[in-house]
Amino acid sequence: MSWAAHDLEPYAFQKHLNLKVAFVPLLIGSYAPDLMTKWFVYGIHLGPWELKASNPAQFHRGWPGFGFTHSLTFGLLIGLVIWKGFGSKLWAVSFVIGHWAHALTDTGDTVGTMLLFPWTFHFHLDAWAYAGQTGRFTDAAAYFSGLGGAWDAVWIVYGFYSWRVITSEYFDNIIYRADAFWPWVNRWVPRGALLTLYRAAFFYGTSRWIAWTIWAHVVHHYPYDLSWGGPHWVPAEHP
Amino acid sequence: MRLRLLSRIDVPTRSDWRVFAGYCAAAAVYIVIGVVYDDFLLSVVVGMAYLVVAAWLVPRTIRRMRRRLQ
Repeated sequence: MSWAAHDLEPYAFQKHLNLKVAFVPLLIGSYAPDLMTKWFVYGIHLGPWELKASNPAQFHRGWPGFGFTHSLTFGLLIGLVIWKGFGSKLWAVSFVIGHWAHALTDTGDTVGTMLLFPWTFHFHLDAWAYAGQTGRFTDAAAYFSGLGGAWDAVWIVYGFYSWRVITSEYFDNIIYRADAFWPWVNRWVPRGALLTLYRAAFFYGTSRWIAWTIWAHVVHHYPYDLSWGGPHWVPAEHP
Repeated sequence: MRLRLLSRIDVPTRSDWRVFAGYCAAAAVYIVIGVVYDDFLLSVVVGMAYLVVAAWLVPRTIRRMRRRLQ
């Protein structure tokens, strides 16, 4: 799984597609596959009870499970619902682009995704270890010690290279104009707050990448392992 | 002498840098809080709420207070 790429990829697409996409569904699409499942992968405590998937990787990416949320077909289906059900082709296309980016990015780990569900074959590049089953903190430590964290860094660098996308000028001329959502929200929320919210995922992805890297390597001294499929000090899941 | 290349490089303005510096300051505080209390880093909603407060609400409040004092 990826930790910051899903926050940053929408800005890269935005740079190239300008008025052809709407940013909000692009970002929602990018978050969508994990939106309902991540909490159950890591588990939560509700009083004396712990709610957690017995097989987190299977639940998150497999079938039976919710792995279909990471397939291109599921993204397309939700896109069709948005288009035909809510009448917005722009939102539909933007959602699908964001969703597909997430599904394709997650093929980078050792579990991969069932891109062509209902075909249950997992496409996986094995570049970094899937360690969601170890819990949130070990997963973070492993991710930011291997090629997954390095892949996120590529998106951060590309985001800064695309710096114009996060300027107020770009927000006013492209983001705000491309999608009626922004003028609608602007009736209640001031423009300055909207601009800040637009930049928030970029800020969140970048800051979190730095913070987790410090947490894993300065505070806790987890060893880096940038070899293919690493870090090998964590037990990686496979399909 | 070929100086034309420089004019094509997209360079941020002073105002862009000022905004960027503000966000860097907000990020530095966020990172310090996150490293100390790691739960703070886990929620995108918390991250977004923090940014709205740190990068919009606080500067706006300070600007308004300054105007009143003048």
